[in-house]
Amino acid sequence: MWDQLLSTILKEEFLFSVIRITAPILFAALGAVVASKAGVTNIGLEGIMMISALFGVLFSYWTQSWLVGVLGAMIVGILLALMMGFFALKLKTDIILAGIAVNMMGAGGTIFLLYMFTGMRGNTGSLMSPNILIPTVNIPLIKDIPILGDILSGHAILTYLAFLFVWLMWILLYRTPLGLNIRAVGENANAASSVGVSVLKIKYIALALSGALAGFGGAFMSMYYSQGWNSGMVAGRGFIALAAQAMGRGEPVGAMFSSLLFGLAQALRTKVSGLQGVSSYLVSSIPYVVTILGLVIYAASTIKRVKKARAEHSKAKA
Amino acid sequence: MKDKRMLGFELVRGAAAILLALAVGTIFIFLSSDEPFTALRYLLIGPLISIKGGLASFNTQGFYTILAAMIPTIFTGLAVCVMFSSNQFNLAGEGVVLTGGFVAALAGIYLHMNSGLHAVVCILIAAVIGGIIMLVPALLKVKLGASEMVTSLMLNYVCMYIVLHYLNFVFADRSKGSTQTFPFAETARIGSLVPGGSKLSWGFVAALVFVVIVALFMYRTRWGYAIRMIGINESFSKYSGMKVGGTIVLSQVIGGMLAGIGGSVEVLGRYSTFLWKELPGYGWTGVTIAILAKNNPLLVPLAAFFIAYLNKGCQLMATYCDVPSEMIDIIQAAIFLFFAAEQFLAGYRQKIVVKNTRADLAKVAAGAEGGAE
Repeated sequence: MWDQLLSTILKEEFLFSVIRITAPILFAALGAVVASKAGVTNIGLEGIMMISALFGVLFSYWTQSWLVGVLGAMIVGILLALMMGFFALKLKTDIILAGIAVNMMGAGGTIFLLYMFTGMRGNTGSLMSPNILIPTVNIPLIKDIPILGDILSGHAILTYLAFLFVWLMWILLYRTPLGLNIRAVGENANAASSVGVSVLKIKYIALALSGALAGFGGAFMSMYYSQGWNSGMVAGRGFIALAAQAMGRGEPVGAMFSSLLFGLAQALRTKVSGLQGVSSYLVSSIPYVVTILGLVIYAASTIKRVKKARAEHSKAKA
Repeated sequence: MKDKRMLGFELVRGAAAILLALAVGTIFIFLSSDEPFTALRYLLIGPLISIKGGLASFNTQGFYTILAAMIPTIFTGLAVCVMFSSNQFNLAGEGVVLTGGFVAALAGIYLHMNSGLHAVVCILIAAVIGGIIMLVPALLKVKLGASEMVTSLMLNYVCMYIVLHYLNFVFADRSKGSTQTFPFAETARIGSLVPGGSKLSWGFVAALVFVVIVALFMYRTRWGYAIRMIGINESFSKYSGMKVGGTIVLSQVIGGMLAGIGGSVEVLGRYSTFLWKELPGYGWTGVTIAILAKNNPLLVPLAAFFIAYLNKGCQLMATYCDVPSEMIDIIQAAIFLFFAAEQFLAGYRQKIVVKNTRADLAKVAAGAEGGAE
């Protein structure tokens, strides 16, 4: 069994699938990063992904253009995040509860909306056709490198965009005034406000960015990954993204690596469950177990670091 | 008198939030249905009043159905009340309900005992398992500072897949077409409360008993007090000498036990074999109920009734009209958002506070004048 597994894992195709599976988690994880940098926990990512995934399909079907679909999904994501912001920041609903509400809409509300718009139940079935899927691109030069080409080339445009966003997010957070403000608001809202930063505005902006990213993640899921929308599609990826954010110490690059770890776990799950004599159910739990373990390791290492820093501090004092 | 006015305000506010949520629902009904008024009728009065040939009559069977639907959600509502009271957003209720129901079913199938005792033992086992599961997010939070929200969400999926694994590969009754266990022993089943094949079991009485027990625990014991204080101000509790970590773990374990009991009572009272194949959703409903009850155990049955009523209404709407039953999620989400909104109608509250203060000042002034004379 093990060598069977090894032989499937050591193929280019497997690493290709890791990258493909990572992309939607990475989008949402970056959304979690930017929100948490501004001091907001966006637990609604899961629901935002579900709803924007649905609208991605609907918009692309109505206009027969994948680009409109993706942009529509992004705008829906932004609107949902702003709605969360309105309730959390203006009406002082606990942001976690606002997030849970968005997740409820994502779980059942989407089925309702789908029926309302199309009369279909549970999935979009025939709405998606190959010409409105997010197109894939072959990268010149790289695609001709023997093994690397098979792994890195031929992904969907949005996959590349996800990894590009890691870099853009870093630039935004650390090289722009807006990023400085976002971090300042997250670190100490009162201090930021005392130097004239509009805390509310920054939080709204961070939430909107977070919603836009989750919207991309949703579009990726329905318009490329599963080629259509169905009700169990996102399956906790929004929650996993929160874990990726925590494990990546809230930084874009860290979140990318932990997203890749979860992508790897998911890809393993699909490979292993195809093997003889393996319980597909136990294997399905792998990504979630990995997430918990990852959080534990991260939390334990943080505590160690804090203790060490404290010990050094007291030594220095003495 | 001041308190009375504020209580009145809270009632008005709650009612306004619910009305707004229903208004949102109504808008969606009008957008999606060809016969919106019939749909609305089913949603609002359908659950309890059946209309046949122009005659309205009280639907007793429908009433029992609603009460039966309250059984698991009262338990999960109580569980969330206790867990959220210590300001821990533990959302593993879903997974615990499923696992609790499953282990109770197994105990009901494979243990042999007297009737009466058997069901109690099954429920106790579910409670213990539920408590143990909740130890995971609680200990990770207290010992390592890992977000209980994320770990508990992940735990739901882990629970689900483990239960499905055992259900499918170990304990499945292969003679049946669908995946299910063998039937429970007669001794383990929870009997029906009313004659006539209704699903309303003695579990309903048990749920109400637990409402009283949890209310007493939260408001009449020092542990309950500590849990609530930690929820209000953790640092203050810590500096005043409370064992914060231990209390947080206690509250999560109690929540887990309640959710486990809920799952087991539901399974043993409603079914004759275990056949859940996905997370049943009672955990999330429990969160809504706890929010509606403002974490007060005594208000949980009321909130559970309201949600069960709405749920039934949505089902009727889906059966007899062209509105999908998932409408309930949109209404619930809207209730959630408005009900939990502290600043919702804050202007109105401000007016009450100002009025009260003016009245008080006038009284004080009158008193001072009286004193001067």
